[in-house]
Amino acid sequence: MSAARTMSAARTLHRARAGLPGLLVLLALAAGLVSMISVAVSGHPPASQAQQVQQIAAGLHCPICKDLSVADSPAPLAQQMRQEIAQKLRAGESADQIRAGFVAAYGESVLMSPPRRGVAGMVYFLPLLVLAAGLITAVTLLRRWLRAPRPEPPGAGPPQLSAAQRRAVARAVARLREEEPG
Amino acid sequence: MSGRLTRRRVRLLAGVGAVVAVIVVLLMTGLGKDPSVIASPLVGRAAPNFTLPQLDGPPVTLAKLRGQIVVINFWASWCTECQVEQLALDQTWQQFRDSGVVVLGVDFEDSTDAARSYVRTDGVAYPVVEDSSSKTALAYGLRGVPETFVVNSSGRIVKHVIGPVGGAALTSDLNSMLARAQ
Repeated sequence: MSAARTMSAARTLHRARAGLPGLLVLLALAAGLVSMISVAVSGHPPASQAQQVQQIAAGLHCPICKDLSVADSPAPLAQQMRQEIAQKLRAGESADQIRAGFVAAYGESVLMSPPRRGVAGMVYFLPLLVLAAGLITAVTLLRRWLRAPRPEPPGAGPPQLSAAQRRAVARAVARLREEEPG
Repeated sequence: MSGRLTRRRVRLLAGVGAVVAVIVVLLMTGLGKDPSVIASPLVGRAAPNFTLPQLDGPPVTLAKLRGQIVVINFWASWCTECQVEQLALDQTWQQFRDSGVVVLGVDFEDSTDAARSYVRTDGVAYPVVEDSSSKTALAYGLRGVPETFVVNSSGRIVKHVIGPVGGAALTSDLNSMLARAQ
């Protein structure tokens, strides 16, 4: 009885040990989920004006530089753009309004990321469309290949004999039976 | 069966060919363009107003020049390409100044002394204003110097030239604008 109890306790302990890594993973996932929800609910802390200037400037191309944002460029025109962004923020303009002002003068090419509409918006949607088309094609072809009957290799299966051949085989079998002793 | 299959293959090949053709046309169109020459979105719109101090004279306000054609030329004393167009701009000013055309130089990212010295040495006859804060340059979506904007008598930008302006082309444009105004 005591031995049975000891065995049962050992089995329980073993099961608990085996389930521990899974439990830890679940706990980690739960903690990650809780932190993501709390960030989503509370939002980011309000950015200072300097941070806002930096954020807006980082989204704009320096017009007289090659591949540099207004935030990163040391060019006087980029400096002036940063000053203008700060002035407009102080005047109460939103980030979108400020960006729209620069787009009005320079066109959409002044934006570091193309807008999500119009022809430029295809940059975002075209890869997804191509991926979807590729997946549909792959699934269609795969289903077709799996459904199609496989052609049998030549020579497989029972040989097809003519009536004369079948008769000859039957005669040969009968003769062999007759020749069998007993 | 094989006829149907062939038709299907032909249709598939035609579809793939059409997609490839569209991509090739798009690439050829894009590759044929000079990426440094970006059309200004301001053409056809009202020219941004400005009041800027003149190098040698009273401040100039664009709105006060309404009713005249204004050739706004952004330049700098350190800009070698600006020297190329200097003669053409001077000749345009001399030829059209009595016909309701104003040529206005806007000095960009320059020192007053350097600009004044350039104007005196090279005999720039038309009025030159200073855009020391680059605010006007930003309002006009400037990407470098020289750049020229032609503003019609209604105050709309009708032409934008990136790089040195050609004397013959400018004369032709002004003649046709003046002819239309009569």
